[in-house]
Amino acid sequence: MIELVNVKKVFNAGNPSEFSALNSVNLEIAQNKVTVLKGPSGSGKTTLLSIVGCMSRPSAGRVKLNGREITSLPERFLTDIRRTTFGFIFQQPNLIKGISVLENVMLPAYPLGEKRAHLKMKALNGLAGLNLSSKASSQVEWLSGGEAQRVSIVRALINDPSIIIADEPTAHLDTKLSYRFMEIVEKFKAEGKTVIITSHDPLVYDSAMVDHVVNLRDGKIEDE
Amino acid sequence: MTPWIEKQRYIIDFTISSLLRRKVKNIGLLTLYTLIVFILASTMFFTHSIKKEAAIILQGSPEIVVQKIIAGRHDLFPISYIDSIKSIRGIANVETRLWGYYYDSLVGANYTLLSPPDNSGTTQLSGKTTAVETDPDDAEALAATKPLFEYNGALLEPGTLIIGNGVSRMRNISKGDYMPFMAADGQIMNLKVSGTLSSSSELVSSDLILITDEDFRKLFGIAPQFVTDAIVTVKNPNEVSMVAGKIKKRLLDSRPIIRDEILRTYDSIFNWRGGMMIVIFSAAVLAFVIFAWDKASGLSAGERREIGILKAVGWETSDVIQMKFWEGAMISLTAFFTGVILAYIHVFFAGSPVFEPALKGWSSLYPNFALTPFINAEQITTLFFLTVVPYTVATIVPTWRAATIDPDSAMRQTGE
Ligand SMILES: Nc1ncnc2c1ncn2[C@@H]1O[C@H](COP(=O)(O)OP(=O)(O)OP(=O)(O)O)[C@@H](O)[C@H]1O
Ligand SMILES: [Mg+2]
Repeated sequence: MIELVNVKKVFNAGNPSEFSALNSVNLEIAQNKVTVLKGPSGSGKTTLLSIVGCMSRPSAGRVKLNGREITSLPERFLTDIRRTTFGFIFQQPNLIKGISVLENVMLPAYPLGEKRAHLKMKALNGLAGLNLSSKASSQVEWLSGGEAQRVSIVRALINDPSIIIADEPTAHLDTKLSYRFMEIVEKFKAEGKTVIITSHDPLVYDSAMVDHVVNLRDGKIEDE
Repeated sequence: MTPWIEKQRYIIDFTISSLLRRKVKNIGLLTLYTLIVFILASTMFFTHSIKKEAAIILQGSPEIVVQKIIAGRHDLFPISYIDSIKSIRGIANVETRLWGYYYDSLVGANYTLLSPPDNSGTTQLSGKTTAVETDPDDAEALAATKPLFEYNGALLEPGTLIIGNGVSRMRNISKGDYMPFMAADGQIMNLKVSGTLSSSSELVSSDLILITDEDFRKLFGIAPQFVTDAIVTVKNPNEVSMVAGKIKKRLLDSRPIIRDEILRTYDSIFNWRGGMMIVIFSAAVLAFVIFAWDKASGLSAGERREIGILKAVGWETSDVIQMKFWEGAMISLTAFFTGVILAYIHVFFAGSPVFEPALKGWSSLYPNFALTPFINAEQITTLFFLTVVPYTVATIVPTWRAATIDPDSAMRQTGE
């Protein structure tokens, strides 16, 4: 379970361009549920997601992960939590060009130093699960948009995270691929994972498998 | 295998594929880097070796050379002077020398002709003329008694000569060939090559020609009661200048030259050349600094983006720095070893063609002036610390800055 208490995020504090992206957000995200963060552009969805995912720190307030306060941990520990607990699917696939699909997928596991054969098998299994086996040795620039996104999903899963974070995963997908994505989300849920998605796509937040929709506006959570 | 090693292997693999990805850029970088190391190493090898050569020459040069001077110009030395020098206390031995320069108009080169001190030709001869008692444990002293050049078993008889490598190359002659000389009386002397000299220093023997006493006198028109000069060995090396003073006092028209003076002359020649090398060396160091600074001044947008992604997917700042360390180390080490090996070949086998303009004033006798390889660990270490270390550091510094950027930057990347 993830718990946010009075979380604030201020960008460029003290500058004329100071901007308060999150104002006292209180939120609980339940385990093994699909939560959707919804709201207009600029409302602070990505900012909130990056705080939840230990990518950045709140300016004020506390974040607890399974009851453990993580806000004040040093970077090294945050990275460790991020690596082992969270899998990220970005709005852009954010793959590294020039290296193969397989290498891209294995990348998050490199710092863990696990056995090569084992890691490779995990990566190939992951690719097979999303019908990407034939692309394993391709260069990433040859992939279609949908393929690239599926590769980034396999990459997010390589360290077997318990929480999956997806920022606008369907923004660049057509309807058919968007449905395909929601099927994948359903599979995650069936495997007992927690899923957090930001989206302003009705196809996502109206989906039957979504357990909880959080409305954000101007950095605040709106009551339904 | 421990996870740490496995992790380093992953990072190295990734670094290699990263380097291959930017092939053109990295090959360019590597070429420039190798070139700089090559120039630095070449200058180092060259100056060091030429100093070593100078030292070898000096070891073999006599303690005192006595010339006869007439109004400032040196003249033939009367053999009758020898006895009067011999009677000076502290002198171990006096020998006469016959030597001179011969201009070969065919190839436009000057040769040094020398009649070896004992040219009976029956024993293995050596060009080393000072006999010093040596302690067999003392390597330096042993090196000092090692002859400067060896005859390789050739016999020196009247009508024959033994030539240095430079002469052999220049005239394209070897054992069995004839070499014509224009003698002092206008006659042509045709001498047969009976062998070539080998030497620990090309510089010593390259332009050298050994001929017999008899032929020398005929060629230069020197009467039997004269020689070119005399060389004196003293009993106690500390007394060299005192003995020289005594010779000067006893023979007023003589000019004793002690080894230290020869040393000074050589030193100024080698230092001049060394100075040119330092100029080249500094230029290369400067180029390297600019080059490393350019590297240090920043990462490309693409590299920043990549680091953002790596951090977002769970790489630590230290992992990114390790990756950049391997990248810097791989480029550096490749460039370093390639550059050093190329420089070695360049200086010691190819005759330093890059430095040719600076060297060719030396003598037309050194068309492929091959220095004897002298290399010490100190040189290589210095070069290593001048190149590999600063470059690797310069690669890490900007990464460290970029790696402190929040990983959420990857979340805000809009496409390319
Ligand atoms: N590093 C930053 N410095 C200054 N302002 C920032 C920074 N990052 C985000 N913001 C601002 O914070 C606000 C919230 O941004 P955020 O990316 O969270 O919005 P969002 O809800 O994800 O929007 P969208 O749906 O368009 O992705 C925006 O107004 C943005 O301009
Ligand atoms: Mg956003």
